[in-house]
Amino acid sequence: MPKLKLPNPIPDQLRPRPQRPGEGNGRKSTKDVVIESGRDAGISVVDWVDERTSLSGAARWTMFRKVPKGTNWFYTLGSATMFAFLSQAVTGVFLAMYYDPSPTRAYESTRHITNEVFLGEFVRGMHKWGATVMMVLIFLHMGRTFFFGAYKYPRELNWVVGVVLLVLTMIMSLTGYLLPFDQRSFWATIVADNINGTGPFLGPYLADFLRAGPEFGATTLARFYSIHMLLVPGAIAALIGVHLYLVAKLGTTAPPWVKAEEPEQLRTEKV
Amino acid sequence: MADRRKEKSPYTEDRNIPGAFEGETVTRRRLMVGSVHAFGAMATAAIGLPALGFALGPVFERQRARWEDVGTPEDFVDFTYRPKVITVESGAGEVGKTTVYVRKHNEEVDGPVKDSYDDFVAISTRCMHLGCPVRYIDASQRFVCPCHGGVYDFVGKVSGGPPVRPLDRFYTRVRRGRLEIGPRYSVNSELRRFSPRDAGQPLDGIGQYLYPRRFTTPELD
Amino acid sequence: MNQREKEQYLREYSVLKAQGKPFFPYAVAKDSVMAFLVLVAIIAMSLVLGAELGPKADPTTTTYTPRPEWYFFFLFELLRVIKPAELTQAATIGIPTLCLILLIMLPFYDRGPERRPERRPIATTAGIITIVAMAYLTYLGASAGSPTDIEMKAPSDLDRQAVAQFDQGKLVAAQSGCLACHKIGHNGNDGPGPELSEVGARLPREAIARTLENPTAPMPSYAALRRDEPEQFDAMVEFLSQLR
Repeated sequence: MPKLKLPNPIPDQLRPRPQRPGEGNGRKSTKDVVIESGRDAGISVVDWVDERTSLSGAARWTMFRKVPKGTNWFYTLGSATMFAFLSQAVTGVFLAMYYDPSPTRAYESTRHITNEVFLGEFVRGMHKWGATVMMVLIFLHMGRTFFFGAYKYPRELNWVVGVVLLVLTMIMSLTGYLLPFDQRSFWATIVADNINGTGPFLGPYLADFLRAGPEFGATTLARFYSIHMLLVPGAIAALIGVHLYLVAKLGTTAPPWVKAEEPEQLRTEKV
Repeated sequence: MADRRKEKSPYTEDRNIPGAFEGETVTRRRLMVGSVHAFGAMATAAIGLPALGFALGPVFERQRARWEDVGTPEDFVDFTYRPKVITVESGAGEVGKTTVYVRKHNEEVDGPVKDSYDDFVAISTRCMHLGCPVRYIDASQRFVCPCHGGVYDFVGKVSGGPPVRPLDRFYTRVRRGRLEIGPRYSVNSELRRFSPRDAGQPLDGIGQYLYPRRFTTPELD
Repeated sequence: MNQREKEQYLREYSVLKAQGKPFFPYAVAKDSVMAFLVLVAIIAMSLVLGAELGPKADPTTTTYTPRPEWYFFFLFELLRVIKPAELTQAATIGIPTLCLILLIMLPFYDRGPERRPERRPIATTAGIITIVAMAYLTYLGASAGSPTDIEMKAPSDLDRQAVAQFDQGKLVAAQSGCLACHKIGHNGNDGPGPELSEVGARLPREAIARTLENPTAPMPSYAALRRDEPEQFDAMVEFLSQLR
C-alpha cells in the first residue's frame, strides 16, 4: 500500500515532544490524544483517497518539480491570467443566477443586478473589470513568452495552445459585452456579426448562424449567452489543462540571459 | 526482407501488431477495429447531426415578407427624408424594429420609376460598411456613419469612406391609400436590386458571387 | 534548430533545472502573491469605476455613436484608417486573419536556437513594432469622436459675444455634416475634402461663404441653409473664418 512519504529528516516542529520524566506517568494527556488522533485521521483520509487513486505521485510530480534557476516575477503572469479566469468563472456563475437572456428582459435584469441586488454592482463590476485585467495579463504573458524566446523548441505546441487561448479569450470578451444589452453591446454585436459576414462564400451563412436568422432576433441573445457561458469557457478550461500539463512536462523556461554553469564532472569529461 | 511465413500468419502475435495476445487472429482484430470505427461514427453522428441541425436550422428557414404601414403617401415629399420606425423581426420586442428614411421618388435624381415598388424610396439606416446606425443630415444632404467614417449622398450612394455599396433599401407599395414598407433589398453601385445582403459585402463585379443569396431571403407576395 | 542544438538546449536546461528550487512552495509563493494582487486590482477597479450600464439597446437610433470596449480599439481603428472601399474586406478579415496565422505559426518559422532578446534583432524589433502599432491604434481609437462633435477652442483674443457666436457656428458646422468629409482639429475624416483646421488663414470670409453656396462636386451646396436660416449660415461662416 503506497503511503505518503514524510519529509526526511522530519522537521523539529513535527517531531513528537519527548516526555519529561514523571510527565503523565505513562498515560497521555487528553489534549495530546486529541491532537494525535486528529493528525492520524487526516493522514488516513489522504491515504484512503490515495490508495484508490494513486494521485500522490501526480501531485508530487507537479508540485515538487524544480523550476530552473533565475525564475523571476515575470513567470507569475501565466498563473495570474489563470487566476483572473477563475475569478471570472466564479463571478459569472453568480451573475447567471439573476440574468435573463431574452431581448425584452436582458437590459432590465442587468439593471436589476446593478441597482437592486445586494452587492450587485460590485459583482458585475468584478466581472467587467476582471475581463479587462485578464486581457491585460494575457497580453503581458504572451509578450514575456515572445521576448524570452520561450516558444522555441521544445515548447512550440504550448505556444499554439496559448494563441488559441488568446483567441478564445477575445471571443469571451466579445460575446460577454453583448449581454448587458445596452447601446454599446448591441452595436458592437452588429458590427462583429457583419465582420464575420465579410468572409467570402461562407460568411453570409455564418452571420445568419450567429444571429439565428437574417436580422437580430428573439433568440440571438440566448445564442451568444450559451456561447459565452458554456461553449467557450469549457474550451478554455480544457485548453488551460493542456497548457498546464505541457508546462509541467517540459518545465518553465529559464530567463534567456541565465547561463548554465556546467557541473564539474561534465567539464572534466569534455577535456 | 521480412519473413514471408510470418507475413501470412493468421495470428496477430506473429505479425508484431501492437497489443497482440495469444490466439488473436488478424480477422478478429479487423472486425473489432471496424466496429470501433463504425459504431463510434454512428454514435457521434447520432448526437452531432441533430444538435448541429438544431443550431443551424435558422440559416435555412425562409422568412415571411412583412409589410408595415407607415402612413399616407401624402405624408412624404421628394426633396427630403422622413424617418419612420418599422418592425422587421417579430417576437423580439423593441429589438426587432429599425428606422427607415422614406421619401417620394424624385425623377431628377432617381431617374424613371422602374416598377410598382419604386414610387417611394425607403432607405435603411444600417451603414453598409459594418452596420452602424447612419444619420441623415439635411443641411448637407448626406447620410453620415458615426463609426468608421462612411458618407453617402442623397440617394444613398457612397460618397466617401469604407462602405462597400450604397445603403440598402426597402420595397414600398401603396395599398388602400396607405404606404407600406416591405422587405429589405440590397443595391449595387448602379442601384440594381439584389437579395438582401449583410453589411460589408460588396455587390459589384465578383462581389455578388463571393457573397451569395441567403436561404432566409423572403419572397415578395 | 538542428539536432545538435536541440540536444545542447536540453542539456543546458536540465543543468539549470537541477540548480533551481522546487515549484512548491518557492514559485507558488510568488504566484499566490500575484494572484492576490490581481484580485486586489479587480476589486479596486470594481469599487472605484463601478459597473456602468449605458442606455438600453435601441436599433432604431440614428444619433448614437457606437464604440467598442477599449481592448478592441485597435481593431476598431484599423477599420477606420483603411478608407478605400476595395480594402474593406482586407481590414475586416484579411489583416486580422493574416496576423493570427503569423502569430500561431511563430515557432515554426522562427526556429533559431538563440533566445536572448538582444541577439534576436528581427524578432525583437518586430515584436516592439507590433506593440507600438497596437498601442498607437488603441490611442487613435480611444480619441475618435462622434461625427457631430467639434472640439475646437475659440481663439483666446475673442470677447464674450464673439466666443458665443464661435460656439454657435461650431454647433452648426458639426450638425451640418462637415466632419463627414473634412478634418477639423482632431475631429472628422481626413478626406475626401481638404482639412479645415486652418481654413480661415487660407481663405477670406467671403470666399468661404461663396464656396459653401457654390461648391465643387462632390461637396453639397449650403445655399438652402443661407436662404432658410441665414443666421445659422453666417455663424458657420464666422466660425470657419476664425480657424487659423
